[in-house]
Amino acid sequence: MIYEVKVNELAEEFGVHRNTIRNWINSGLLPAQEGPGRRYLIHWEDYKQLCEKYGREPRLIPESAAEEPVVSRTAVPVPAVRLGATAGLLATLPSQIDICQTCGSCAGACPIAGVDALDPRKIVRMAFLGMDEELLASDWPWKCTLCGKCEIVCPMHVEIVQLMHRIRARRDRATVPLPLQKGISTCLQTGNNLGIPREDFVALLQQLGKDLARSVCPGFVTPIDKTGARLLVTVNSKEPFAEPDNLTWWWRIFHAAGESWTISSENWEGVNWGLHAGDDSVMQTLARRMVDNVERLNCTALLLPECGHAYYATRYALERWFPAILQRLKIYSVFDLLLEYFNQGRIRVRPVSDKTVVTLHDSCNYGRKSLKTFGHGFFAEARTLVHSCCTKYVELVPDREENYCCGAGGGGWTSPFTAERVYHGRIKARQIRESGARLVVTSCQTCRDQLAQSLCREFNLNITVCYLWELVADCLVPTEQEQP
Amino acid sequence: MIGHNGSVDMTASEPVGAVMVIGGGISGMRAALDLADSGYYVYLVEKTGAIGGAMPQYNKVFPTNDCSMCIIAPKLVECGRHANIRILTLGSVLDIAGRPGDFVVRVRQKPRYVDTEKCIACGQCSAHCPQSVDDPFSGHIAGRKAIYIKYPQAVPFKYQIDAEACLYLSQEGKCGVCAEICPPEAIRFDDRALEEEIRVGAVVMALGFQTFNPAVIKAWGYGVYPNVITSLQFERYLAPDGPTSGVLHRPSDGKPVRRIAFLQCIGSRDKHHCGNEYCSSVCCMYAIKEAVMVKEANPELEVTIFYTDIRTHGKEFDRYFERARSETGIRFVRSRIHGVEPRGTRGDLRLHYISVQGRQVEEIVDLVVLSVGLETADDMVSLADRIGIQMTPDRFAAISAFMPVHTSREGIFTCGAFNGPRDIPQSVIGGSAAAASVAVLLSGARHSLTRTASFPLEQDVRLREPRIGVFICHCGTNIAGVVDIEEVAAYAATLANVVSVERNLFTCAQDTQDIMGQQIRDRELNRIVVAACTPRTHEPLFRATLRSAGINEYLLEMANIRNQNAWVHGFDQQTATAKAKDLIRMAVAKVSGLRALHPLRIPITPSALVIGGGVAGMTAALNLALQGFDVHLVEKTGQLGGNALHLFQTWSGEHVPRYLDGLRSEVVNHPRIAVFYHSTVVEVAGHVGNFTTTLRGDSGRRKTVRHGVVLITTGAKRYIPEEFEYGKIPKVVASIEFDKLHMHNEARVARGTSFVFIQCVGSRNQERPYCSKSCCTHSIQSAIKLKKEAPSRRIYILYREIRTYGQRERLYNKARELGIVFINYELHGPPKLSRERDGVLVEVWDHVLHRPLQIQADVVILASATLASPDASDLANLFKLPLNADGFFQEAHAKLRPVEFHVDGVFVAGLAHYPKPLEESISQALAAAGKAGCLLARKEIALEAYVAQVDPGRCDGCGLCIEVCPYRAITLVEYEDEKGVVLKSVVIDQVLCKGCGICQGTCPKQGVDVAGFTCAQIEAQVDAALDDTVAEGT
Repeated sequence: MIYEVKVNELAEEFGVHRNTIRNWINSGLLPAQEGPGRRYLIHWEDYKQLCEKYGREPRLIPESAAEEPVVSRTAVPVPAVRLGATAGLLATLPSQIDICQTCGSCAGACPIAGVDALDPRKIVRMAFLGMDEELLASDWPWKCTLCGKCEIVCPMHVEIVQLMHRIRARRDRATVPLPLQKGISTCLQTGNNLGIPREDFVALLQQLGKDLARSVCPGFVTPIDKTGARLLVTVNSKEPFAEPDNLTWWWRIFHAAGESWTISSENWEGVNWGLHAGDDSVMQTLARRMVDNVERLNCTALLLPECGHAYYATRYALERWFPAILQRLKIYSVFDLLLEYFNQGRIRVRPVSDKTVVTLHDSCNYGRKSLKTFGHGFFAEARTLVHSCCTKYVELVPDREENYCCGAGGGGWTSPFTAERVYHGRIKARQIRESGARLVVTSCQTCRDQLAQSLCREFNLNITVCYLWELVADCLVPTEQEQP
Repeated sequence: MIGHNGSVDMTASEPVGAVMVIGGGISGMRAALDLADSGYYVYLVEKTGAIGGAMPQYNKVFPTNDCSMCIIAPKLVECGRHANIRILTLGSVLDIAGRPGDFVVRVRQKPRYVDTEKCIACGQCSAHCPQSVDDPFSGHIAGRKAIYIKYPQAVPFKYQIDAEACLYLSQEGKCGVCAEICPPEAIRFDDRALEEEIRVGAVVMALGFQTFNPAVIKAWGYGVYPNVITSLQFERYLAPDGPTSGVLHRPSDGKPVRRIAFLQCIGSRDKHHCGNEYCSSVCCMYAIKEAVMVKEANPELEVTIFYTDIRTHGKEFDRYFERARSETGIRFVRSRIHGVEPRGTRGDLRLHYISVQGRQVEEIVDLVVLSVGLETADDMVSLADRIGIQMTPDRFAAISAFMPVHTSREGIFTCGAFNGPRDIPQSVIGGSAAAASVAVLLSGARHSLTRTASFPLEQDVRLREPRIGVFICHCGTNIAGVVDIEEVAAYAATLANVVSVERNLFTCAQDTQDIMGQQIRDRELNRIVVAACTPRTHEPLFRATLRSAGINEYLLEMANIRNQNAWVHGFDQQTATAKAKDLIRMAVAKVSGLRALHPLRIPITPSALVIGGGVAGMTAALNLALQGFDVHLVEKTGQLGGNALHLFQTWSGEHVPRYLDGLRSEVVNHPRIAVFYHSTVVEVAGHVGNFTTTLRGDSGRRKTVRHGVVLITTGAKRYIPEEFEYGKIPKVVASIEFDKLHMHNEARVARGTSFVFIQCVGSRNQERPYCSKSCCTHSIQSAIKLKKEAPSRRIYILYREIRTYGQRERLYNKARELGIVFINYELHGPPKLSRERDGVLVEVWDHVLHRPLQIQADVVILASATLASPDASDLANLFKLPLNADGFFQEAHAKLRPVEFHVDGVFVAGLAHYPKPLEESISQALAAAGKAGCLLARKEIALEAYVAQVDPGRCDGCGLCIEVCPYRAITLVEYEDEKGVVLKSVVIDQVLCKGCGICQGTCPKQGVDVAGFTCAQIEAQVDAALDDTVAEGT
């Protein structure tokens, strides 16, 4: 059976952009033949397979197929699962799986539910029934962005994210998605995920500092390895690698605030992929390096890494393994630090443009996951900061703890599951489009990359994406002390 | 020392013969009415300005689809006018001092600012009041004035001022227009709160519930998106007396609604978001009811109910659900919706969910109805705290299953939703049960504080010309929506002898009763026609109104222009209006010829016959005995205990055998109870107040007992499974058998490592489309016990819906926490069992993974159904009682008369009525005993005056009527006239006669007439119906 479809209709059905459908067709994911009048001819079977892949109920059902019972015992020749043969090891606490009501809330909330015929409810169920082997072999837990939307809607508060972490952790390290493996081993060996040599890094930072001094921050010198500085700052390796200028937004803020700060020339990486890989020892090692830097440089405060996952991983690791240092070390999230500058009058801002409609994308890690793990989500702080930098503001719906993930969390930005990442992002793209915003502010590097580099293109979003600190840096005006 | 049923040693002093009932909802009203009817003075404390509770807010009630207002209005009026009930509105209880039998309750009444003695409820104040506020009664979808009545049928029917909204009271003397305008000068701005100390012997807490406020969980969008509403608001939208007169529009833009989604479990079964772990028990049914109602009114609507488990565990509920699913086209989707999001800005709502098959589905709907759960309000929790009664973790009153209406403080009783979420029948049963328990405590003080209602002297109308008043009811829009009432009223005024015609929104409301009385006096009416609904439910109310207005209560005729007209001709207004006229013309013709009748009063034999010696029978017997009545308890076996002999614990874990021993010895040793073992009822004669029943013992010896009432507590039997290899594989056992194996730790259990429970064996199938109600809880309890004994055991429960309703949900949660595996088999068909090595192989499909599962089981336990007792049909024949399609006794009214029959003096409780857990049987038994006690407490009863009378001048003793009389009320007698001629005639026993009229129809000489339905009266009615001077269709 052959169907004639319009790209538009398919895009609407799958909630993705026309371009994405064209990409699917071009890549062969959806075999289709071009027909007259910008239409395509698709075989029902191919269409059905696409639906299966993305876990969607087919909308077009041929009459012959409609008769087929929706659920039948014999339709799918799957081997029976023998219960009780082996005890599952994946979940150890009742709160992780046992108390599940199988109500389906989690799967309903998950943007990639149904992909690979799996969803959070099924994952929980499989763990409950002791199907560990299948779970460890499945890629689904790696396609999951660990965003925690499933958890927040669960009426029984099943610890789904924790379960995903455990599944990831128990996978044979050799089969962890390659980019993650590579990043981790490079970081362990060189001190940063991309293996940037110390000399190159130092040279780059110095050059950037000089440029900054020439342009907007007279007298600025990049404080590398400055012993006795108050605040230690980390760097996301992708910035010196690909977008070095991005580093200077923070520097401008520090400069304006008169902060005493420093960057270590070694082990400066802020990113912590131990979290994504479910590898506690990596998480701990990378956090220890940060602690070592703090001690070596005699700092009294630490700006937790900016990227959502990195903030979460570092804070988690410090609280879990280095509680002692937290007695003497003050830790700041990006929000805490910026707000402190504001409240102490150390920086002042003037709103950018009063015409642009601005919205804020809540990072899952800074938001609901932080709320859950550390008891506080940075919802209000982010809004206070954005409000002071712009005048026309709208919220995404839903927002705060109910916000949708950008689609690239949990290592998704680096992992090989691109199609799923884009598919996941369709809801974010829709939220943004429906909000009418032209400028999307976020505080996480992964969210920003997914929004700016992937979703913008895939979904033809006519938006600009910027970091919260970028926005603040751009709005800086001289404080009273600075004014001549 | 408290015994079963709460008998208290009252040696200290005489108890006080008054009772305080806190809460004026249906449960509290029922308790108050029962207590007042059985000889106690009642203080009914209501927090708001009018009694009625939640019921007046509902449009219809399940599963009967009765109009809620129609069935509650008579009760409201009854409470309002009862000589022994004092209603304290705007009241709250501050504290309770004293001891059982003699409490002092401090009650505070907030100021009403309206003098209820003076207020005539003309409504002018409200019409002129400039201040509008949201009306909580309508769920805030409509406004009301600062001076208002809670709802149009409110009792007391008096206005009240909302002090916060009132401009005069809140802004220091601004406004005050109501005081200026009020004709009887009833406004009292200087009204102050009153505190009163009231002495009572007992207190009944019927504190009720509040619905969960979904605004506290952001994900539902309630309060943010106007098209997300609660089920209560939806009721008000559907209600004919609601703010939209029953017409449903999208709240956001008034556009027609095309797609509705009901989301279940909002604020229930949700530990994470609101901490309400329990199931609210009623939401599934009310959502189905609302869906059915809206779908019937708008067949083109797409209605979907998103649910987790459909919990339709009550009597006739599963049938209702099945009908909704298969006949009305309502879609049921087993998927809990995680949140509501808007699509665009025009009010459309987006639902994103996972289908049963595990695929994503997105739907756009116009309206989302949140099926909000029930919870105890904070102020009620603190009241409970002040009074010192214990509460459960779910914030309901802590009660023992064995004493389901006793709080932890002696002498203080509890009923209704305050005892845990429950529906109307359960609340009504609770009300009666609480009254019955109070009656035991205060049996010594009966009639010590009550007053007898006095009615004005009845005027003699025999020689007067008929002066007829016609009262035409709108019944909200039930009638007025179809019939042109104005036209009908104008027509009625033209009929002969009609001197007054009134139209009323609800003729049954309290204010109309006042108007009716006023009209009777002012316009000297001597006959009344009420054109409204059925005399079956409402005639007693109007009769009482006639009595209190001083005319004979039988000078009343009802024209049923609702059930027999508006409801059947809904689509043809013209015909309906014409028929209403016909019906009223006929009623007027008949009422003109009516004569005053006086019911026969007969003394009551103050004893009860209880048939069935299970827990329900014993509970009822003991309660009646403790109330001071003699009881004959008939048990067909040689042992008391019935089905409870097989039970080990209640759902809350209380030990049943110990309780049973205690109850049995109390029953056996009570001097007022005579137990007849090995006995059955073989013959029944007599009637309410005076039954004579013949029992047959095991030796065939017969014995006759005389009693005033009958309680049927014959229990039920268990289903012997024919499925799942039962009887073929010895490791497959029924749950009752398993309990015994488990108790004795038999080898199969002791060595077993894997247990499979299969639910709904014999229940909820085509043959028995009902839920056996207690099996889910029972299996889960057994599973928990097995698991706790040895945590390494693997336990699987294969179910269709888990129905751990109410606070039982905690058991379900506990079981899952322990790692018990629940597998839904409904979606794929029943599990398959086969022998495997020395065990059983169970094959079933997983409802989440959609994959076949295999379980090697050591024991398979079948949760088999509860069946109606096979003896039920014999008893039903003897007492002329109806059975439902499943063979259970059919009560008089599923909602408001759950333990009575249409046959007076006969009551039902326990499994004979429907499968239920132990505490519900006990509760119902207490209720039945309470109802029976009300009757027995009276010295005499007045029988219906509609009985056949012989005209000796016409009867020639042919005896044709004797044969046809179904009640054996007619006998033939010979007598001599003055001349000594022997004549024959029939005489009719006025007590046995039910006024059915078969004799009247049979008599060839017109020698028998049923009073109130004489040949002449019926002829007049028929003539009026056929009156050809009335043109067709006018």
